[in-house]
Amino acid sequence: MKSLLRLNINGEPVELAAHPHWSLLEVLRYELGLTGSKQGCDKGDCGACTVLIDGKPKLACCTLAATVGDAQVTTIEGLADSDGPDPVQRAFDVTGALQCGFCQPGMILSAKALLRDHPEPSDAQIREALAGNLCRCTGYTKIFDAVRLAASQDRQVPIAYGEPAEGFIVLGSRGRKADSIGKATGEALYTDDLSLPRMAHGKILRSPHAHARILGVDTSKAAALPGVFAVMTGQDVPIPYCVIPWTPDETALCTDRVRYIGDGVAAVAAADEDTANAALDLIQVDYEVLPAAIEPAQALAPDAPILHELDWKGRPRKDNICKTVELEFGPVDDKLAQSVAVAEGTWHYEGSTHGPIEPHAALATWSQDGQLTIWSATQVPHYLHRELARVLELPQAKIRVIQPALGGAFGGKSEPFDLEFCAAVLARKAGRPVKFLYTREEVFYSHRGRHPMTMHFKVGCDTEGRVLAVDSDITIDGGAYHSFGMITTYYSGQLLTGPIDFQSYRFRSSRVYTNKPCCGPKRGHGSVQPRFAFEGALDEAAEQLGMDPIQIRRVNAIESGQETVNGQLIPSTGLLACLDSVERGSGWKERWGKLPLGRGLGVATSMYISGTAYPVYPNEMPQSGVQLQADRSGKITVFCGASDIGQGSDGMLAYIVAEETGVPPDDIVVVSSDTDLCPVDLGAYSSRVTFMCGTAAQEAARKLRTRIVDAVALHWQVPDAQVGVALGFVYDKDDRGRQLDIREALILAESRFGTLGATGGYRTRAVGAKYRGGTIGASPAYSTTAHVAEVAVDPETGVVRVEKVWAAHDCGRALNPQLVEGQIEGSVYMGYAEAIMEAHTFRTDGLHTGPNLLDYRMPTSAECPEFFASIIESLDPGGPYGAKEAGEGPLHPIIPAIANAIWDAVGVRVRRMPFTPERVLAAMKERS
Amino acid sequence: MLRLPPFVVLQPETPEQAVAAWHPEAVYMAGGTDLLPNLKHGLGAPKQLISLNRLPRGGILIEAEQLVVCASTTLSELAQSKLVRGLAPPLARAASLVASPQIRNAGTLGGNILLDTRCLFYNQTAFWRRALGHCLKAEGDWCHVIGGPKTCVAAQSSDTVPVLLGLDASVELLGASGARVLALRDLFRFNGMDHLKLEPGELLTRVFIPRPAPGFRGTYEKLRVRDSIDFPQLGLAISGTWEGTTPKTLDIVVGAAGPIPKPIGKLEAFCGQELTDEGIEAIAELVRKGTRPNEAIHGDPAWRRQMSAVMTRRALTALRDA
Repeated sequence: MKSLLRLNINGEPVELAAHPHWSLLEVLRYELGLTGSKQGCDKGDCGACTVLIDGKPKLACCTLAATVGDAQVTTIEGLADSDGPDPVQRAFDVTGALQCGFCQPGMILSAKALLRDHPEPSDAQIREALAGNLCRCTGYTKIFDAVRLAASQDRQVPIAYGEPAEGFIVLGSRGRKADSIGKATGEALYTDDLSLPRMAHGKILRSPHAHARILGVDTSKAAALPGVFAVMTGQDVPIPYCVIPWTPDETALCTDRVRYIGDGVAAVAAADEDTANAALDLIQVDYEVLPAAIEPAQALAPDAPILHELDWKGRPRKDNICKTVELEFGPVDDKLAQSVAVAEGTWHYEGSTHGPIEPHAALATWSQDGQLTIWSATQVPHYLHRELARVLELPQAKIRVIQPALGGAFGGKSEPFDLEFCAAVLARKAGRPVKFLYTREEVFYSHRGRHPMTMHFKVGCDTEGRVLAVDSDITIDGGAYHSFGMITTYYSGQLLTGPIDFQSYRFRSSRVYTNKPCCGPKRGHGSVQPRFAFEGALDEAAEQLGMDPIQIRRVNAIESGQETVNGQLIPSTGLLACLDSVERGSGWKERWGKLPLGRGLGVATSMYISGTAYPVYPNEMPQSGVQLQADRSGKITVFCGASDIGQGSDGMLAYIVAEETGVPPDDIVVVSSDTDLCPVDLGAYSSRVTFMCGTAAQEAARKLRTRIVDAVALHWQVPDAQVGVALGFVYDKDDRGRQLDIREALILAESRFGTLGATGGYRTRAVGAKYRGGTIGASPAYSTTAHVAEVAVDPETGVVRVEKVWAAHDCGRALNPQLVEGQIEGSVYMGYAEAIMEAHTFRTDGLHTGPNLLDYRMPTSAECPEFFASIIESLDPGGPYGAKEAGEGPLHPIIPAIANAIWDAVGVRVRRMPFTPERVLAAMKERS
Repeated sequence: MLRLPPFVVLQPETPEQAVAAWHPEAVYMAGGTDLLPNLKHGLGAPKQLISLNRLPRGGILIEAEQLVVCASTTLSELAQSKLVRGLAPPLARAASLVASPQIRNAGTLGGNILLDTRCLFYNQTAFWRRALGHCLKAEGDWCHVIGGPKTCVAAQSSDTVPVLLGLDASVELLGASGARVLALRDLFRFNGMDHLKLEPGELLTRVFIPRPAPGFRGTYEKLRVRDSIDFPQLGLAISGTWEGTTPKTLDIVVGAAGPIPKPIGKLEAFCGQELTDEGIEAIAELVRKGTRPNEAIHGDPAWRRQMSAVMTRRALTALRDA
């Protein structure tokens, strides 16, 4: 029963009725609408819910609202005042410390308390004070910058953009993200922050068995529970789907069989979460437990239980092999025989998960005339739109998908999930809006994270260190469903053929179904694992030849305009400049191989795609569309289906439109990821957004610019070519004194041409090779990266501390260097985490070993290395202004760079991840 | 999100009222940073939650040659207290290494002393435990760590307890029949399911720490993956009185290696003489032999056992040479 609560929130007394067992977080978010305090982990492991209680940072999720009493509670909403945001909030805004922004309200409050107690904190104090707030985007680097900046300013931190690149009016300057101040102040609304009148809460019943046949589901008792509005089972949504349209092998809820512990079986919508949970307990599921195949070896055994009786074309399956790809280019065996140095071995990648701090959430509602609107924490609104239409048997025109602010994704939200279908179906059944929010445990079960791989590699080189041949055999542990499986399988081989060039190559990759949560695309989809193996093998080959590891990479560097062994054209590459940069930065020449025992440097390189050549469903339409609306107000609205998942794509669109039109970025509004309002974009995956949406925005903005220039030229009676566009005004190139405010110019254009608007699109360009699979991994452009890692390995404990990482990334033109650095730092952080501590592991019965953020450890600010990001700009002929990707490529080399640094430090080759102290010590013992 | 079970919250004003309010279906809550996550996991479903937040806060003071710490002192206060840092530095250090800043701001010394034992098979959601088939400590009849039906070996996971044992601390317990003082070493029993020898309803009110003798040197070392948030994979508390490089007394307690903290015996032999490198090596070996970590918590037990020796050697060397 509710009782009266009196609280002091942000300096105001508040009275409300609340349940005594509600946490302060729930009362703030769901009773008072103060949704700036975020929920990430359920139970005190992430810090996203941090609030100040009498000035001290505490966790609202582990505080009862009933016991707060007279204490003063300060939430993120309480920092800003009538003068605007707090200086700490502004400092986070201008330094690029906010990417997805989800952890930042808590982070900012921790920083605020630190700066009150220590106005001039040391770096160690900053790291310590923030060590209870996990951030998954930034690698903490820019957060440290923000705190230092806030500490150094007596007053409000000024907003400064800095200088643009030469020849540009906006691009190249260190601009703010369009949405960051809203995220810093708690204004930004994420999916779970939304609520609608009469809204019900949904929950999913999950299988406790790794593999079982469903004999029956009795939901009658649940349906009869007071407060329950609707119940559903797999029979309500029997149409299979998949993000890849021709491999549908999962249903929103299981119909006849469960395939992993956590697979969804039934769902309910009820008046509140407690009632929904109680209803789940009343659902009776009859299971016939089946033998399970947890590891690939079990799944590949002759007598293995078959997970999917039929394949996606309805044919009976004889085994658990989801996809096998075998490709061979050039005389591999001959070249290996000719090689003077051959590095051969087996590498293991254990699997990891994305860990966005925001759990998946979805809210669905139906209008009286049958229109479904769904808000979802997705990074692919368009693919969700398509699959909803397929499964619900509705025309796409009847469905609207909106992606609110997104609290991190990293590939973990790049396909449809059960909660989106369940929200839609239950909302229709219940006749009221239904919201789902995953528990952190459910996020681990939904997974789609990085695949475990066992990789046998053979790399052969000649005496000069030139790579003559690469031969690999990879077993990929796919988990229970397909996801992007066939793409993953191709990527594990197809994406390895640069920036180290080799002209004979064979790979055999096989993805196997197992009774575990389904793996999928995690930042650097399919290619991070083989990169670890290959770059390790390359280092071993260099060692055999007595070569400097940077030198062997230089010798083999692919060149701009070259075609890879598997037929991919590389229009631009900046690898040599990347290598020079990290060599210089790390003091490599003076230090590599010469540091005392326990300290080492390691290098590695990689290459990554800027979008995939083709969409997941073949079509002739643009992959990305942009529509502009401009008028006499002096403001431009940019409509684009692109998903800003924290990487800053909304800002990127605004900068490009500003660059072309002269309208300042702060006067440009971006409306994105709403299928009713925006032209289609395929989503935030495969590092395609800057390249493709950027091109579309450039095209649209250039059309609008032409209108503006034409109108002004007519007004001034000069040729078009004489009208220049600068930031905020247009000018006469022959008479610099003659200028016109950009708003006046827009008025002229609107007067002359009528309502102003323009569209642009990115159309698929024919790339790739003709053989089967030759277009998978083909991209219009490729980024290249080189990292040097410096590690300290304790020879007695085996503990590896990564102290510094120099990361040089060729992103082509850096449209906003601050955001590019953020992507590099965040990528390096994520790979470092995988290398050192993260392991997504399962018991032999298929049960996750610890589906929570205490047992699945993600690095804190306390131990995170120092990152030195440097941007290399090898302009790409196809990218907008020469831009390429920056969000995924820089993750790849960090893992092998750390492994190679461990070799330099203590003389052992670690081939199984993560590099735990136990493993490193065991490897050292084995060697001696 | 994970939900708390329904309960009523009582907020007594005095320890006596708190004790009077207690009954078998009630539970005390101090900082709540360990209790509430456990309740969200369905580990216990009390009808009443007796919050200790309104009890008078006694702070930290010196009384009759002992340090007296009110149980409600937060771990942050303990870590920052000049008194504690001056008189019992390893206690301040241990408190500063607990969990995260936010948790130290809420969690109390009393709560940390009484912290429930932890196990990878226990501290999971109700769904997870059901999928596992339950364990001895909750709902089941089988310990998955040692593979047997009799003994629960969930790990003692407090950072402050090993230090307090080395400091010869005692605790004041208030029950229905009045207060008693118990040596901390007598509080624990080897049973991960029920590791505290508390009478039903007893409330921990104060902690007494004898003022360390002149020449006191001690430390606490914590093994963990991350430098924040994590519970200990192993805790090592060393305390002693020294004259130069000669220890006059020496106590070593190992934490997180079983349901109770493990004091290392036979250290008298090393006292009263200069502690040589060989002596340190011998003590490290004694610690290693006496430390038998299990798989209840994260990290390979054999490695953690080996680390107990490395940590001992390093910490003792630093203390000797301080």
